[in-house]
Amino acid sequence: MSSQAAKPISSAIDNFDVRTVFPFIQATIDTLRVQCKIVVRPGKPYFKTKSENLPIDIAAVVGLASRTLNGSVAICFTKKMFLAIMGSMLDEKFEEITKEMQDGAAELLNIIFGQAKKMLNDKGYEVERAIPTIIRGDNITVTYLTTGQTIVLPFDTNLGPFHIEITTEQPGKKY
Amino acid sequence: MFPKDIRILIVDDMLTMRKIVQKILTDLGFTNITAAEDGQKAWEKITGTVNSALPYQLIISDVNMPNLNGMELLKKVKTIDQMKPVPFIFLSAEGEKKIVVEAIQSGATTYILKPFTPQSFSEKLKAAYDAHSTAKAA
Repeated sequence: MSSQAAKPISSAIDNFDVRTVFPFIQATIDTLRVQCKIVVRPGKPYFKTKSENLPIDIAAVVGLASRTLNGSVAICFTKKMFLAIMGSMLDEKFEEITKEMQDGAAELLNIIFGQAKKMLNDKGYEVERAIPTIIRGDNITVTYLTTGQTIVLPFDTNLGPFHIEITTEQPGKKY
Repeated sequence: MFPKDIRILIVDDMLTMRKIVQKILTDLGFTNITAAEDGQKAWEKITGTVNSALPYQLIISDVNMPNLNGMELLKKVKTIDQMKPVPFIFLSAEGEKKIVVEAIQSGATTYILKPFTPQSFSEKLKAAYDAHSTAKAA
């Protein structure tokens, strides 16, 4: 394994608040099952390396801000997967990502974020409300202004894979 | 259930969600549906029709929106005498108890949590009608 290979979650656990991960996995499973009629199978989370470029054509990003935690959450899709998910959610068939339907990525993240936020706030995180934004392009890379590590939550479905990236930093903590 | 020709205003900043709600309502047989993309646009539509022959009779709104959010919209709507009895339903991913309590205390008829299925949406809508009818009769 090269030095650039993805680090298993256990090796970097001290530098990342792993309690933030489960609520997003659970919320993603629930949201896609209920809103999109899609069964989601979560894969093993891992830390993203600086050089890793996962295939992304559209992503929605939302800030993660609280008294104890800063960062962001992004849900990332290939064009094929996004069209399949939107088709299932809206009961329509789509061939291209149009301006009119691209906010579906933000809406999915909004619902996932809302559920995860509730779970986190029940644990005392005090995560604030936020509105997601869309990033779109061919084979884009999501980069973050925060200096913390990024954990990738991979998901698989019968329509294909997608993933969520969570970047967090705890105020005052060095990475 | 609400009459099928009731004038409904959907308020959500996400076009995808407006389309989902509009489709469910259309499938349920509702025929008079308008949409607004945030609280401010909704407020303009509401104030623009309140003294007409065709004011809105049911508002279904998101909570978390730019410009004027759903909670602010509800509070403004309740300042208009003619709109006070109009049922106001929240549809939101914000499921925290304090937000739901604030919504109900501010006069919301019910609170539908995202994600939802067409069936759960329909059941909540019916429950909102029952609650509204009971409150009206009291």
